[in-house]
Order: sequence, then structure tokens, then C-alpha cells
Amino acid sequence: MSRINPWGAVRSLALRTPPWSSPRSGRIAAQGACISPISPRRGLADDTTFTRPPYPGHHYDGMSPPSPPPDTELELPAIDRESMVETWAPNFLNAEALAALEEAGTAQVTYDDTEGLKFERPERPGQHAQLQDRYHPVVDQVTKMLMQDGKLSKAQRHMSFILNYLRTTSPKPNPLRPLVPGSPPVEQLPMNPLAYLTAAIDSVAPLIRIRGLKGAAGGGQALELPEPLPVRARRRIAIQWIIDVVERKRSSGSGRTQFATRFGQEILAVVEGRSVVWERRALAHKQGTAARANLNHPAVAPRKKL
Amino acid sequence: MASTNCWRCLARPTQRLLGPASIIPSVTPASITASITAAFSTSALLAAAPAKSSETGMSRHIRIGKKLVLGKKKKPTEKKKSPAAGERKAFRKRITLSNDNAIEVRGLPEFTAERVVDLESAGLVTKIPVELVDQLRACEAFKASQNWKLFRSPHMLIREETVELAKQMTEAVDKKETLRMVITGDRGSGKSILGLQALATGFMNKWIVINIPEGLELTTAITDYSQVPNSDLFAHPTYTIKLMQAIYATNLPILSQHRVQKDHLHLPIAVSRGMPLSSMLNQSKEPEFAWPILQAFWQELLLPGRPPVLFSLDGLAHVMRVSEYRSPSFELIHSHDLGLVRLFTDALGGKTAFPNGGVVLGVTSKGNAPLLPSMDLALVQAAAEQAKREAPEAAADIEVPERDPFYRRYDDRVFDALKGVRVFHVQGLSRPEARALMEYWAASGIVRLRIDEKTVTEKWTIAGAGIIGEMERSALYDIRL
Repeated sequence: MSRINPWGAVRSLALRTPPWSSPRSGRIAAQGACISPISPRRGLADDTTFTRPPYPGHHYDGMSPPSPPPDTELELPAIDRESMVETWAPNFLNAEALAALEEAGTAQVTYDDTEGLKFERPERPGQHAQLQDRYHPVVDQVTKMLMQDGKLSKAQRHMSFILNYLRTTSPKPNPLRPLVPGSPPVEQLPMNPLAYLTAAIDSVAPLIRIRGLKGAAGGGQALELPEPLPVRARRRIAIQWIIDVVERKRSSGSGRTQFATRFGQEILAVVEGRSVVWERRALAHKQGTAARANLNHPAVAPRKKL
Repeated sequence: MASTNCWRCLARPTQRLLGPASIIPSVTPASITASITAAFSTSALLAAAPAKSSETGMSRHIRIGKKLVLGKKKKPTEKKKSPAAGERKAFRKRITLSNDNAIEVRGLPEFTAERVVDLESAGLVTKIPVELVDQLRACEAFKASQNWKLFRSPHMLIREETVELAKQMTEAVDKKETLRMVITGDRGSGKSILGLQALATGFMNKWIVINIPEGLELTTAITDYSQVPNSDLFAHPTYTIKLMQAIYATNLPILSQHRVQKDHLHLPIAVSRGMPLSSMLNQSKEPEFAWPILQAFWQELLLPGRPPVLFSLDGLAHVMRVSEYRSPSFELIHSHDLGLVRLFTDALGGKTAFPNGGVVLGVTSKGNAPLLPSMDLALVQAAAEQAKREAPEAAADIEVPERDPFYRRYDDRVFDALKGVRVFHVQGLSRPEARALMEYWAASGIVRLRIDEKTVTEKWTIAGAGIIGEMERSALYDIRL
């Protein structure tokens, strides 16, 4: 237990909220009354002082200009009206502008956006709806890795043939080689070739790679250290392994679907657990496990605090 | 500068021992030799090293028998079994008509002879009956580049063009006339599928259907050929046997009902009157006998009282030019001098009379098609003349294009073969048809989109106003899944 305990003093503080308005509308009403509409929004937020609404009993909701008090003479006899006009001018125009600003802040449309347009206004593309994001990340990565000599269009053609090959194959599940958790059941994969491809690649992707720290092991030898991989790099290694196997495979056919068929057959082999890529993954993980002890090496281990 | 002398014993190194004898003549005085050799050169020492290594008691760091090998070591290459003869081509040409993973679309009507001539059924996706699938497969109407392999069972869309074509065909056959027609259109607009639908119409109406699936196979010198004795023609013996077998397989129920009526004494096989017409086709598998038998069969078919004939050829451009075959005098053979092609072009040009009614259908192809000014002009002329015939009141306004007077390589035989044909121009789908097709794709589980006005219009527009091949590219071959 520390010697200085601030909580005792803090507990005695009282935070009082104004009883007559909800926090948000109260703030708008207050600010609407005293701050000009051209003042920036940032300044409004910084204003932490609290002020009274124009007149008691009326709660300005910020959506419509406040209706004038029905019978001011009768209802507000006790308030000094001269001073109220000066300091609390019920300038509903300001309030209206501020309400509009507030609405814009909450992304509600306040203006007529179809004015001057023949058809309805097209939606703006979102952050990840740009031209470069038009393909799924896995499809994009595989396509780019299949590309040779910068012929992207040809690689895309291969990719579409691969996906259509996957549609027509029915893999048999292998309990010894389960797919990555979260992937759909094997029987359902052909209906969704993208999930098929993703499941195959993610299942054989290694989680770690071995990084060599030059000369740290002594005698000029590199100290092998396991290093976790981000998703994209993981997939990259898996795709490269699959491509290596595909390139060594004997071509059994000819024509435009020949390469795609070989690639698709390897994806099928991965899902069915027959592929040699599984062995490569196991080897990579084994090496990583062995090199795990090196993390305690003085060259890399965090120094103990004295 | 370092001295060449030994710094311990003051002895001078003997150049004769270190360097090769051929470079340093023995008569050269030692002082001159020393001035020739660069003082800092190590090449002499290196050259001497192997001689030292053979001695015993050397220091450990010099390894004996290890030589520097420059360049990469060649790995012993694994001997892989090369594909068997024809295996690679079989892979390329394999036709798959079903996909067990696709969802079966139930409740679609079947393709029938009545439905195909009914304009109400335009925009209907129909199921191809199993027997018809077998017939179409036997006559090679399905192509590997078409997308049959994605769907559970073969279905096809009846378009307005299909109905129009089927109507023209059946009307001509009913009147015992000959419809001579060439199907043209943009790339990917569905010409071959329309040809397939014409064949299906023929099968459904119980006509005799003869189909040459690729004109290219007849003229690009990939099929064996031989000269026909006592004639200027050349035959394709093996191809003709295959064609006869296909005709037999597809038309057996009809052909077996008809009997041979003529005497074919010149034939190498025994053909007697009264035997079924079908047995003419399967009696011999000898390639040498194929051409005369096919000719005799063709004569039998054209006798009165036989069923109507549908003769179709895909890839018309390839049979409208000089082939790549050579005659014995090593001159290129014109395609129309090949027996099978002559049979087709005579029928298409109107030289063959079909007393029982007939349809001769040439389907052009835009993939891998040669540029043929003669054929293009002949088709444009035929289309203009057809327009004149159809609208006699406006005939004066329609201009039939003339030959270019400065082009001298026009082929008159092509003009003869295409004289008076009807030209059927295929264009894009209409939007309701596109919608029906896309709904079928979605119901099969291939296209994972909500099929509404927006998607249909989008694909239809991307596909150049409903060019069906482009629609398939943007929907079935999309990697944006």
C-alpha cells in the first residue's frame, strides 16, 4: 500500500450535473446562446464552462428554432429581461446553424443532396473500396505471385481458371491434417472457391521464420532466432512453396487451362493433406521450436534490471 | 620493392624450377629472367603448389586432392515419364458436361422441338434432354472453351435469334426447300451455341444431322489426306471414317428405318438393295474405303422420300481459302478441292438439290479466323441481296457493295460457294434474356450476386450490350468473388 493515497481527497469531490437538461442538448443550448455560429467546432468542444439556458422551463432541442415563449409576461415575471437580452439573446439563427453543424458532425444529411442531379447521388467509395482494393487480398497476392514478366492480365486469367477448377473438385477431408480453424467444412469449400484457396494457403502457412543474427553464436556463426510472421508474409511463404511444387510437377496436358489445373491439383492436395508442402511447414516449425532456446542468448535476451 | 632473393639464406630462387620450361629458355641468364618476372607475382608459387602437395609431411592446411571447381554443379536430372501420345491433346479437348458441386436447378422446362419455334419461349433457360446431350456430344457440338463444366447439367438459353433460326429452318424443310445460311456475328456473341441449337433442332425434328465441328481440322494439314483416283479431289480417309461413325451414332434410329435403294457396284464393300441405310456407315472401318462409301451414302440421302438433312460446319473461314495441303506436284490445294469440303460448299452454294428439304449451315468463328476479303465481301453482298429480297419496295435504295477494283486476289470459288446464302447476324442478348441467364447462373451457385436490375444492367453494359461471351467473362471468370 502506497503512502500517498489520492482517493480519499477525490471521494469528497462532488460532480454535479445540471438537473434541467440532458448533457448534450444542454451544451448545444448553452453554446447556441453565447457563441457565434462561425466559431469553429473545436472551440465549442473546448468550452467546458456551463451556462444557463435562455429562460427556465424552456428546453431547446437544437433541431428547430425555438418558439418564442407563449406568454413571456406571465411566465417570466421575475427575470430581468434587459439583462437577459444582452447576455442570453435567444438568437435562434445561431442555434440553427449550430444544430446544422452538430448534425453534420453526426453524419446526418442536412442539405438536399439530390438538387441539380439527374439521378441519385452515387455513394462515395469507402476507405477500402478503392481501385487497388478491388480484389480479395489472397486472390490479389496469389495473382501477383503467379505473374511472370509483368503480365498481370495473363496471371489473372490463370487465377480465374484456378478458381473455376476448384469449383469442380470435391476434396475429401483428412482428419490427420485439419485445416486452419475457422475455415468452412471441407464439403462446402467447392461452392466458395475463394474460401477454398484461402483455407488451403492459410493452413500450410508457417507461423514463424528463422532469422539469423550474424556472428552472434560465436565463431562467425549466425544465431538462429525464431520470429513471428505477419499474415501477409505467412501467406507469401506458403504460396511460394505451392508454386515450387507446381513448377516441378509434370504437365499432363496442354492448352490454356494446363497451368491452372496443375495449381488447382496442388491446392486440392493441400486440402486433402497429401501435399509435400505440409512437410515443409512442419520442418519450419520444428526448426523454430529448436531455435526458441536461442531467445535466452545474452545477445538477444533483455537485460535484467538490477 | 621486395627482393626476389631469399631473405634468410641469400639464395636466389631458381626460375627454371618454378615456371614452366617452355616460357623460360634454359639458355637465358638468371639475371635477365629475374627482370622479366614481376617481383610481386604469385602465379609461379600457385603453379608450383600441386607439386609440393604430393610430398609427405606437409602442413595441415593444404588439402590434398581438392580442386577448385568453377561453375555450378549439374544436378542429376530425374527422368520424368513424358505424357503418352495424345494424352496432352485429350486433356485440351476434354468435354466435361457436369459439375457435381454446382446446385441443381430444378423446374426448368426441357428443350423441345415445339418450344424452340415458339416466340413465347424466348428468354427461357431450358434443360437439354439426356438423349440429346448424347447426340450432341457424339457429333462434337460441345466445345471445350464453353462453360458447360461449371454447371450441374447442360442447360441453354433460348434467345430470340434461336427461335428465328429454328423457324426459318423448319419452314424451309416443311416446304421441302433448302435453307442455305451463314451465321455471322461479333466475337463471343454465341454463334457456335446457335449452331448447337440448330443441331438440337434438327435432332428433335428427326432430321439427319451431319456436323463438321471444326473447319480448321480439314484444311490446316493436321489430318491425313490422299488423292482420290480418277478425280481432281483429295479425301481425308481417317477423318471421313470418324465422321461416318459420328453420323451413325447420332442418327441410328432414323437411318435404320430407311433402306438402300440404289446399286453401288463400284463400292469395295458389299452393299445390297434393301439393307438399312445405317449399315452402310458401319460396315467398314478401312480408311481407304471411307470416301467412296460416304459419297454413296450422300447420294442415297438425296433420293426422294428420305428424311430432311441438316449439314452444318463450324469455322467457315478456314474452308474458304487455299489449304495447307500440297498436291503431288507440290502446289497448294484449294480447300474446295478437298472432298468433304466440296460436299459442303456445293450444298452451301446451291449446287446440290435436296428433294426432301434441307438446311446447310455455315457458322463463322472469330477466334483464330484468317482474314479473307473474298468471304467478307461475299457475305456483305449476300446480306444486301437478302435485304433487297425481303423489302422489294426499298430495293432501289439498297446498294450491293462491289469488288475493290484494285484488289486482284479475290477468290471466285468463294463467291460461288456463298452465292445467294442467307446471312444470319447474331448480336447481343436483350436484357430480359440476360436476366434469365444470370438468374440461372445464380441458382446454380456459380454467381454469388443478387440478381436485380442493377447487376443485370451492369453486366449487360460491361459486355458490350449483351455479348454473351463477355458476360460470361465478367460473371463466371471474375476473380472479384
